[in-house]
Amino acid sequence: MEQVFALPAAWWFDAVKVWLVVAVVIYIVTAIPGVYFIMKYRYKPGEREMGDHEREGHWGLEAAWTIIPTIIVLFLATYSFTIFKLQRTPPKDAMTIKVYGFMWGFQTDYLDDNGKVIKTVYSFYKPDNYDAGENEKIVVPAGKPVKALLTSKDVIHSFYVMPARITEDMVPGRITHLWFQINKPGEYWIFCREFCGTGHSHMFAKLKVVPPEEFTAWLKGDNKGLAEKNTETKESL
Amino acid sequence: MREAIPAEKPYFLASLREWIFTTDHKKIGIMYFVTSYIFFLVAGVFGLVIRAEQTQPGFQFVSPEFYNYLLTGHGAVMLLWWAIAAHIGGFGNFLLPLMIGARDVAFPRLNAFSFWSFFGASLLVLLTLIPGNHIKMMWTGYPPYSATGDAGPTALYVFIIHLIGISSIAGAVNFITTYIKMRAPGIGFWNTNMFVHCLIGANVIQLIGVPSLAGAVTMLLLDKYLGTNFYNPAKGGDPLLYQNVFWFYSHPVVYVQVLPIFGFFSEILPTFARRPLFGYVSMVFAVWGIVILSFEVWIHHMFVSGVPDWARVIMSYTTILIAVPTGIKIFNWIATLHGGAIILRTPMLYALGGIFMFLIGGLTGIPNAMVAIDLGISDSLFIVGHFHYVLAMAVTLGILAAITYWYPKATGRMFPEGLGKLSFWLTFIGANLLFFFQMVVGMLGNPRRYPDYPAIPEWVMLHQIQTVGGIILGLGILVFTIAMIKGLKGEKAPANPWQSPSLEWRIDSPAPAHNFGDKPPKVEPDYHPYKYGAPPAF
Ligand SMILES: [Cu+2]
Repeated sequence: MEQVFALPAAWWFDAVKVWLVVAVVIYIVTAIPGVYFIMKYRYKPGEREMGDHEREGHWGLEAAWTIIPTIIVLFLATYSFTIFKLQRTPPKDAMTIKVYGFMWGFQTDYLDDNGKVIKTVYSFYKPDNYDAGENEKIVVPAGKPVKALLTSKDVIHSFYVMPARITEDMVPGRITHLWFQINKPGEYWIFCREFCGTGHSHMFAKLKVVPPEEFTAWLKGDNKGLAEKNTETKESL
Repeated sequence: MREAIPAEKPYFLASLREWIFTTDHKKIGIMYFVTSYIFFLVAGVFGLVIRAEQTQPGFQFVSPEFYNYLLTGHGAVMLLWWAIAAHIGGFGNFLLPLMIGARDVAFPRLNAFSFWSFFGASLLVLLTLIPGNHIKMMWTGYPPYSATGDAGPTALYVFIIHLIGISSIAGAVNFITTYIKMRAPGIGFWNTNMFVHCLIGANVIQLIGVPSLAGAVTMLLLDKYLGTNFYNPAKGGDPLLYQNVFWFYSHPVVYVQVLPIFGFFSEILPTFARRPLFGYVSMVFAVWGIVILSFEVWIHHMFVSGVPDWARVIMSYTTILIAVPTGIKIFNWIATLHGGAIILRTPMLYALGGIFMFLIGGLTGIPNAMVAIDLGISDSLFIVGHFHYVLAMAVTLGILAAITYWYPKATGRMFPEGLGKLSFWLTFIGANLLFFFQMVVGMLGNPRRYPDYPAIPEWVMLHQIQTVGGIILGLGILVFTIAMIKGLKGEKAPANPWQSPSLEWRIDSPAPAHNFGDKPPKVEPDYHPYKYGAPPAF
């Protein structure tokens, strides 16, 4: 598992650990008595031919396994609610990008302080491989929160930032959002996880996390030729 | 239209003509079951091809288009044929009148109508096998994708849902009326078989929910072919409307699918533990708790779909609360084993296996309800593995348990014990290998509905384990199918092979054409289906 420090993935891993502990404990206290009873209370001719007909229920026990699980699940839901709030609230200093899904690929717009688009990256799907060209990578600065506003140009897609363990659908006619922050420079996966047709399994992008200075340079870099090339490719699709 | 078959002739020795024009609940039940079982095998083969394709990265066996067709077919047929028609249409029809001491269902002709519209839907499904008719939009059929050309013939899908829906609504009306009006004197609410309670609960969900699904797909049809804009955001429609209306039925349908299975477990466990069901009263309350809660949880399918955060939080709580009544059922089954005299015959093995798998299915359902975790696992293979623990394992093992248990009553023969046990172990081990590691690869991030994936070494290894499991599971089902056919010529069954006090075992095996004869069966004042009077002789 890619264990790089990222948000909101760090909280997500905590939540998964809490669930796993609870689930394993419940499994053990349920399955072990179950297997033990199957071993112990076996039919034996002449010895144990009839089951116990005295106890057809026990209100104390039945109340216990109604009330205790209720408390456990309400605790889990509330705990998940506190993390959910963090996952859904981007830090104030987050940088905003706009991402469009289309059949099949992502278009990422970078904005200046006034909300004007200053750079666009297209990540096109490849029918039979997962290699992204250098100019198709979505570049973000390391250690800085990024808020992504999401929508779609055609059908519903989704934007799964794998290192950050966060997904949100891209719905035509709506703007949805998520945020993430990845502290270690490197290349990571982004996938579409909402079924969108023939190209679905190859609708991916590479997320390239670079040191902040490098990101600023990249953002300012000459993008003219890149933009033209992208329009061409898009029209030829 | 009652057929004139002599009472001494077993019901299934009728001519083909009698089968086609029959209104007898037992024959209709068997026709439902056989149709569903054949579709189960076909959808199972689809599943194996889907599994094989994912063994290695790249496209080995099928194109992405054909993969999408296989996945749509596998999902729709397994959910609507195997996990609904087989036990509600099949076992529900066969067992409900027998368990309440009735001659037939309340409206026998409506019952035949239900079956034949279901059969019509089955024929339409066969039409999708023709290249060019491949539906490729997944069983969920989300617009706007389903309104595009890439999705395949949406109309065919909508008509299939309509026919299935008509069949379900008619069936639900019939079953509910039968239970209310046709019980033999002496059968009351508190001594009804658990299977009947579960069946009626499931049919109440059907009656309330199916119109919602029918509405969702009808609007889809109008959008695609007649130019309406219910789901078209460019013209003021909203694709999320579809998801809301669709899941308003399609989440509760999970309980339509598992409630009868809970019924099977609750019938089979007491018989082979030779003691009454533990906590019968709380079991009945749990059934109705599930029915009521099931309609308040649908947003958990839409936690990342862009619905407001407050809706996600509310439905996170309602969803997780449904763990309570399902937990009550599991704990009561375990407590039923305590103090029993347990006999591990094939039906019992399948039932116990199903319960243990349902336990894992339930515990892995919790993170889907915890909205914080769901944001990271939504639409991954984790969710696929999870619902296969519930649907492919608990439901399938439950239906197979029921087949082996009521086989004597339907056919007059015993189910072959050796082959039954062999098929159990193959199915159980294979399915665990397959679906457990599917959840693991999903936790690592692998999206669902992907015929191809990047060659990440852990992913490839986990997919290969799954394929091994898939092959073993396939073998298990093959052995079971052979056993089921071979058993037709097997050892003759007595009227009550399991020495159960329940009403359906008081008539001959196979069940005579007129069930209990002209008069309703005599039900003792202290009758209860799980009161075992004598040591078993099997
Ligand atoms: Cu997509």
